[in-house]
Amino acid sequence: MNRMKKVNSLGVAGVAGVAALVLPFIGSDYTVSFSIQLLIFLVLAYSWNWIGGYAGYTHFGQVGFFGIGAYVGSLLNFHLGVPWYFAAIIAGLAGALTAIPLGGAMLRLKGPFFAIGMFGLTRVLEAFALGFDSVTGGGTGIYLKPVSDLRPVYYVVAAVAGVMLFLTWKLDNSRLGLKLLAIREDEDAAESLGIPTTRLKIGTFVASAIAPAAMGSLYAVYLGFIDPPTAFAPNIELTTIAMVLLGGMGTVLGPLCGAVVLSVVNELLWANYPQIYLASVGVIILLAVLFMPRGIVSLGMKTGWVTVSRPLFRRLAARHGEALS
Amino acid sequence: MTVIPAPLEVRNVTSGYGDVAVIRGASLVFPKGVITTIVGSNGAGKSTVVKVAAGLLRAWKGNIKVHGTDITREPADRRVYRGIAYVPQGRIVVPEMTVRDNLMIGAHILGNNPARIEAATERVMQLFPALKPRMKQQADTMSGGEQQMLAIGRALMTSPEIIMLDEPSLGLSPKFVDIVFERLMSLRDGGMTVVMVEQKASHALGISDRGYVMHLGQVACEGSAKDLLANEDVKRLFLGEIPESMKALSFTDA
Repeated sequence: MNRMKKVNSLGVAGVAGVAALVLPFIGSDYTVSFSIQLLIFLVLAYSWNWIGGYAGYTHFGQVGFFGIGAYVGSLLNFHLGVPWYFAAIIAGLAGALTAIPLGGAMLRLKGPFFAIGMFGLTRVLEAFALGFDSVTGGGTGIYLKPVSDLRPVYYVVAAVAGVMLFLTWKLDNSRLGLKLLAIREDEDAAESLGIPTTRLKIGTFVASAIAPAAMGSLYAVYLGFIDPPTAFAPNIELTTIAMVLLGGMGTVLGPLCGAVVLSVVNELLWANYPQIYLASVGVIILLAVLFMPRGIVSLGMKTGWVTVSRPLFRRLAARHGEALS
Repeated sequence: MTVIPAPLEVRNVTSGYGDVAVIRGASLVFPKGVITTIVGSNGAGKSTVVKVAAGLLRAWKGNIKVHGTDITREPADRRVYRGIAYVPQGRIVVPEMTVRDNLMIGAHILGNNPARIEAATERVMQLFPALKPRMKQQADTMSGGEQQMLAIGRALMTSPEIIMLDEPSLGLSPKFVDIVFERLMSLRDGGMTVVMVEQKASHALGISDRGYVMHLGQVACEGSAKDLLANEDVKRLFLGEIPESMKALSFTDA
C-alpha cells in the first residue's frame, strides 16, 4: 500500500517532468510565455511558503528581493553584457546578501509589525530605484536586448521550480521542517524545546530570498524591460501570497496547487471578462480563505490522497517494528 | 557538611517586560523530587519567574543556577540540554501535525537515535496512555485535555530533570485537571523536579509539596504546601477562600 503510493507519486513526478520538457516543442509561443509566468509565480510561492508558511513569518516584502534581483540582473546584463542566465545567479546571491542584514534587523519584529515592516522596506527600495536614476534609469527603466527565443528561459525557470518543489518536500520531511512549524506555532515553546529560533528564522529568511531575486532577474529578461513599478509591483506580492493561501500554507503541494489554479483562473478571467477580472480573483480568494482556511491541500488530506504524517518518521518508526504507533 | 545545590535556583532576580519590572528581587529554590507550586494574584509575577528560569526573559539582576552552576546568560534553547523543560500556557501544539510528529519536535535534541527516541516515546505513552491510540491523529482533532497531555508529553521527550508548567490546568475540565495533576505527582515520584504556576491555587497546593506565594513581584510567603493551605492570611488573600472568622464581615451570600 505504502509502496503503491510511492510508485504513484514518483510516476506523477515523472510524467510532469516529461510534460515540462516537451511543452516548448508542442506548445505555442503563447503557451511558453504563459508557462514562464506561471513557473515564476510557482517559485515565488514556494519561497514565500518557507518563511511565511513554515516559519510563520508572513510578510509583504518578498517582491523587494524580486525587485533587487531584477535590477542587479538587468544592470549586469545592460552595462557589462553579462549573459542573462549568469546574471540571474548573481542576482540570487545579491538577494541572499541583502537578506542577511535585513533578516537580522527585521526579524526582531513579530506578526503584523514584521509583515508591514517588510512592505515598507519594499516601498523604500522602489523609491530608491526611482531616485537613483543615474544608475537605474529612474522611471524610464532599462530596456534589455530582447532574447530571440524564450525557451531557454522557460527551461531555467522550470528547473528552479522543480528544485524548489524538491527542497520543500525534503524540508517537510526533515527535523528542520518540524522545527520551523514549531516556531510558527509559538516561539517561546519552540525555544524551550531547544530550537535555536533566531538562527533558523534568519536562515529561512535568507534562503527564501535567493530564488525570488533570481526570478526577478529572469522576469526582466522575459519582459525585455524593467522599471521600478514593475520590479517592485505589490500585485506580484499579493498574487504570490494568495497562491500559497489558496493552496495551503506550510505544505509541500500547497504552492503548486495554488499557483496552477490561480494562474489558470486569472488567465481565463482576464481573457474572457477583463472588466470583472480583479474583482473575481478577490472573491475567489475570499471564498477560499473562508471555507478552506488550510487550502486546497487540506481537501486532499481529508480524502486520504495526501498523507498527514511525515515519511521520515514513519521510516524511523518502522525500523523499530512500528512500536511507536 | 557539604550542601548539595538544588536542581534549580532563582536568586534575587529582577526582570520584566520593556522597562517595567514585574518581579523584583525574587528568590526561589526548587528541590529535587518535589512539586513546588507558585501561587499569587494576577500580575504578581508567577509566570515571569518561570520564564526567566526557562531563559525566555532576561534576568536584569540576580541569577539562575542549575545544580549550582550559573546559567543566567545561557539562552533558552541551550537550557534544554541542562535538563530544563518548560510547558507554556495554553497547550501549544502544532495543530495540523500528527501526535507523533508533535512528539518528534520534542525529540529533536535526542539526535538521530531511534532507540532513544523510542524509549522517550514509550515513557510518554506510559504516562499518558490516552495518547497511544492517537499517534497518527492530527493534534487539533483532540480535546483540550488531550492536547495538554501532548504539550506536556512533548516537553518530556527532551528527557528533562526539571519540568516547569505555566498554568497546566487552564481551560481544562475537572476530569483532565485531575489526570494532569496526578501525572505530575507520578513524575515527582520518579525523582523529577516539578515547578508549577497555578491560578487554581488550593487545588494545586493540595497536590504539591512546597509552595511560594508571590505578591507584587516578590515572594510574600513560602513553606510546605500543607502549611500554606492552612495559613489564614494566605487563604484570605490568595486562595479565594473566606476564612471562618471573616465570613460574618463578607457581603457574599453563604
